Amino acid sequence: MAEMQNSNPTILNAADLPTRSRSTEKKPGDYGLGIFAAVPKPTDFLSSDSEGDEDLLEEPIDEQEIYDLIKSISDPEHPLSLGELAVVSLPDIFIKPTLPNVPDSPLQTVTVLITPTITHCSLATVIGLGVRVRLEQSLPPRFRVDVRIKEGTHSTGDEVNKQLGDKERVAAALENGALMQVIAKMMETCQ
Amino acid sequence: MSALQTFMLVVEHDKEEAKRIAEGVAQGQSDHRPTFPRTHYVRVTLIEDSNADVESKKTTLIEIVQQLGEYINDEDPILRGKAVSFLTSVIKALPPKFLSRQQIQVLTSFFCDRIEDGGAVAGLDTLQKLDRFTKGLAAEIAQSLFSHFQDLQSRSQSQRFQVYQLLNELMSSHRAALLDMDEVSLVGIVDLMTGEKDPRNLMMVFSILKVVMMEWDITNHVELLFDSVYNYFPITFRPPPNDPYGITAQDLKGRLQDCISSTRHFAPHSIPALLDKLDSTSPNVKKDALNTLIACIHSYDPDTVSRYSITIWEVLKFEILNAQEEFLSESSLQALQSIAQRLSEGVTEVSQDLPLAQYLRPITKECNEQLQEPQQKQAKPAQQILRSLSSASPIAFTLIVQTVVAPIFTIYQEADGIAKQRALLETLSVLFESAIQVFGQWTTRGDEITLENPLLEFKDQFSDVLGQALMGAAKEEVSFRVTALKGFLRLSTLRDFFQDNEIGLFVQYLDEILLQEESVGRGDLKKEAIAALAEISKHKPRLIMDITFPAFVATLPDEDDGTNSTYLSTLDTLAQISVERDIFETLFRRLFSKLTILLQKEQPGAIAYPRAILMTLLYVMQQRKMDSDPSVDLYFDKIVVGLCRSASESASGKGKNQILNDATILDTLGRLCNLLVRSVTVQKQEQVAENVYKLFSATDDFVPIPFSQDATVDQERTIIISTYLLAGLSKDCGNHIPYTSPNMSELLSDLVQRCVSETSEPATHLAFLRHLALLVNKFLSKEDLNIAEKLFGSLVSSEKESYSPATIRTIFWLSKALVLRLAPTTTHVLTSLMGLLSSPDQQTSTSTARGFSILLGDDDVLSTANGASIRLLCKQRVFTTVIPMISSRIREVNVAGSDVSSKGLDHIKPAHLTALAGILSTISTALVMPELPTLLPLLLQSLDLQTSDSVAVRAATLDTLAVIIRDNGVAVIDKCGHVHSLVVRLLKTTEINANVVNPPRLRADSLKCLYLLAAKQTPGETNSRLPPSISPLLPEKTQVLRSLHAVLDDPKRDVRKAAVDARSAWLRGVDDAPEEED
Repeated sequence: MAEMQNSNPTILNAADLPTRSRSTEKKPGDYGLGIFAAVPKPTDFLSSDSEGDEDLLEEPIDEQEIYDLIKSISDPEHPLSLGELAVVSLPDIFIKPTLPNVPDSPLQTVTVLITPTITHCSLATVIGLGVRVRLEQSLPPRFRVDVRIKEGTHSTGDEVNKQLGDKERVAAALENGALMQVIAKMMETCQ
Repeated sequence: MSALQTFMLVVEHDKEEAKRIAEGVAQGQSDHRPTFPRTHYVRVTLIEDSNADVESKKTTLIEIVQQLGEYINDEDPILRGKAVSFLTSVIKALPPKFLSRQQIQVLTSFFCDRIEDGGAVAGLDTLQKLDRFTKGLAAEIAQSLFSHFQDLQSRSQSQRFQVYQLLNELMSSHRAALLDMDEVSLVGIVDLMTGEKDPRNLMMVFSILKVVMMEWDITNHVELLFDSVYNYFPITFRPPPNDPYGITAQDLKGRLQDCISSTRHFAPHSIPALLDKLDSTSPNVKKDALNTLIACIHSYDPDTVSRYSITIWEVLKFEILNAQEEFLSESSLQALQSIAQRLSEGVTEVSQDLPLAQYLRPITKECNEQLQEPQQKQAKPAQQILRSLSSASPIAFTLIVQTVVAPIFTIYQEADGIAKQRALLETLSVLFESAIQVFGQWTTRGDEITLENPLLEFKDQFSDVLGQALMGAAKEEVSFRVTALKGFLRLSTLRDFFQDNEIGLFVQYLDEILLQEESVGRGDLKKEAIAALAEISKHKPRLIMDITFPAFVATLPDEDDGTNSTYLSTLDTLAQISVERDIFETLFRRLFSKLTILLQKEQPGAIAYPRAILMTLLYVMQQRKMDSDPSVDLYFDKIVVGLCRSASESASGKGKNQILNDATILDTLGRLCNLLVRSVTVQKQEQVAENVYKLFSATDDFVPIPFSQDATVDQERTIIISTYLLAGLSKDCGNHIPYTSPNMSELLSDLVQRCVSETSEPATHLAFLRHLALLVNKFLSKEDLNIAEKLFGSLVSSEKESYSPATIRTIFWLSKALVLRLAPTTTHVLTSLMGLLSSPDQQTSTSTARGFSILLGDDDVLSTANGASIRLLCKQRVFTTVIPMISSRIREVNVAGSDVSSKGLDHIKPAHLTALAGILSTISTALVMPELPTLLPLLLQSLDLQTSDSVAVRAATLDTLAVIIRDNGVAVIDKCGHVHSLVVRLLKTTEINANVVNPPRLRADSLKCLYLLAAKQTPGETNSRLPPSISPLLPEKTQVLRSLHAVLDDPKRDVRKAAVDARSAWLRGVDDAPEEED
């Protein structure tokens, strides 16, 4: 591997990364906590498990979910994730209707802004491509994916953006075996 | 024909025969006979023919040698070799004392002259083993080896092996002779073996050379010797498949490593060379170099190690800071640590002039620099370096602490953000951990360390900084506070560090966090605080009892008035920190008095509070070994005798309130009693047995349940406690149970009456069922089993067409009791159950189907812990009996097709599939696997069910499938030829449409199966015989990817997550040719 371009980036602690707080509200009489969970409750046997109304509640795809999809991608240079390196971050993810003038349209656009660890990072394109591939594989077809370098964080940001935004070029890049191998390696840690 | 001639004729094609001939000649020479059984007629005649009876002086050795005369000067080397071999073979077969010193001398000289001829080396090998062999002769042999075998490497492997073997023997038996030859033998040995390539020979070469390296004076030949072994580094040998010699690369690496590390004289050559090898691009070469380096550090003397210590650091630094592979960084750290350990040897006082101090100086400097920006990536390796080196020895620890801690404090004070401070606290924690390793924990005994812990100097500073971080930081900074908490805990456990009052302060902080703070995020801080208190409770119970207990107990309310349920978390904490004996006693006293007060109140508030108190006691007792607790009798009297009596009073309407009439309270109390009854003496158990139904009631107002005609609902409920008491009794107390004499017939009949009645509450009903099952399974003697069988017969009578659900349950619990002990009627019982399953009455059939999960399901009462008779093979028995019946019945139904539905038997198939799911959910997959070909079609048909009442069946089926796939991979499914059918059904289960009821859990489960299919394509044992074939999943790939694309839009997040995982597994893992493993 060629010399690393940034051998000593700043790292965020995995515990400090934004996570979805599961609904913590406890139902009355629920012993879900600590020792009371370990003690079996007196249960009526043969009771059919009741499916609550929760099943009907819809949970739309939100920014946190997009973040969760891409935060675990590994950086091609370091054995660290894009989340830990703050290459992707929650406030830099946006979901908007693709056609705001057509209120019924299900089409949505996901925009992800990438912050390279250093301004001259030549791997920015690869990282952008990785994020793009991950999202295209993981989002339903009604989503449009737009991955860009965050303004002012890269010396040739416009160039990279052009490359990431160009369908033809992205498609061509994905035909490149060596490149795809790098991207597959980056995504191995996604789980 | 002489023996010699015969020998020479046969030796080529029959070695054994040749050997026998020589033995014959030799036996002739000696008195010693016959060590070899004469089994071969030809041999016997040959020997007699040979007239070479040396022993009977017919032939002498001289004559034999003379006989050789005509051949040993022949031009044909083969012929010469055969002749010499004959002599060797004769000598070999002679007894060890036969040859005189002179004869040995002559023979040695003879063989040395002819050493290049076949058999001579072996002859010498034989001679040197003899008692009369001398040192001088050994030198002669060695000399002869060195001068005659210049071309050794052009000879065959076996010849070389023989030569090495001879040399090896000389080395072990006549080393002094070789040592006296000094340089001659040293150079001779090296020259002899240079260029050897065969792994079998190399094993010997390395071990011979190691002796030379360690025992010869090598000062003039260091480089020669070093090169002779280092040329082989790194070893890239790979044993051929089915290697007959069993030499691995690791064997060779080990011997080579022993050579390189054998003497400190190699250091100027070995260490630079090994460090050079770290430039290699192959991680394996680097690993070998590091391992060898570590071996050198361990074996060379400290002075030598010291000379190279800084050089080594400078090279290894890069391996750690820019870690390529984790194992390389680990080995590098180990090497650095070993250096520090070697340099600490014999050092008792800390000084900056120590070689150790000189070694550590550049290292701590580097770490201090890296830690300036503690959040950056390289701060982590810097921490690892500190961890490895500071744990090397007390001296190293002291030197490091002296240079590292103060700068960390400075950066900490100037830090501009909490994240940075946290990273610094983590570094301190690393040092605390090393301190524990070096100085021990508060439990560590023995070897007092004379050195003072250098951290003591900073004690107050640590206390301040950690206290400030833990209590002064914003409440949302959970991970920062957790780091501080962990650091504080480590210091508290460090041997001879904090005083009790200082730990007490920490305990107060923890109490405050637990009692006064709201939980933030996932409650990590509270979890850690509880864990810390629990840890402290093990060693400083006094602190917990003096500080934590009063604070916590004071917050417990007198009753739950519904406004506030924080007592739950308080009790939770108390339970977790009270496992130590002294603390538990205090806890018990406090909680029991709370409970007693509650029981006396007219308005005791919500039932949840007393239940939580009982659960807390139960939890702690489960964690402790109650049978060895000296206070167990006290607990027994208070709870089993006392509370059971109160319960009986309550049941007769004498209680102040309804607490002890509540089913959930009785259940928890019952479990407590059960635990205690199991832990007390036989005498007490007998007492319990007599009171199983009376519940220790003092008055006659309470009517025990069995045979009582008009028991109230409250009274009936006491059967819950009775059942738990009964379960805890040992089998031997059976005859003390009331109503069991002369036999249980009446009692069981009464219980069955109560079980089949539809009127009792669910909890009471379950208790009746368990009670019945317990008596039949555990206490009914073998001779009386017919009572239970008769009861079963009366319940399942052929005339009845439909059964109430209560009756079905009774039948199943009774069956469970019989099947678990593998009663003789097991098969009959199971067949009867199958009959009920096929009942034309839909309700009977459906209830029966659900009952099958009871049969083998784990139960808290009828359990091994409670001494129930559960035979090992019962699960297998049920499985092998029932599965074929289910399978053939379903086939019948399938064949009959529309016929069945016209007869109103639509329910039969779902019922059988439900029963199957019930059984599968209670047995391990190991039992399932052999039957997979039969089962898989049934499981697939289960997935075809679409209605909402089939959800449970389908969920159980998916669970079973997931386990099967996870443990065995897709191959087993492929073997049965069902991959396509399975994938299609799984995909169907992920769909949301109006015709199928697929709740989210089902969708997620089937996605999990799809994920496992792709992820577990190569199970543990590969059928390596087969060439890498095309994945059986490939034909499904397009369909799966397309269908899953739609599932990515599922309304539920968990389902989408499962879909993403499954889809990426298929994208990544399903290919036409599996990737070659490196």
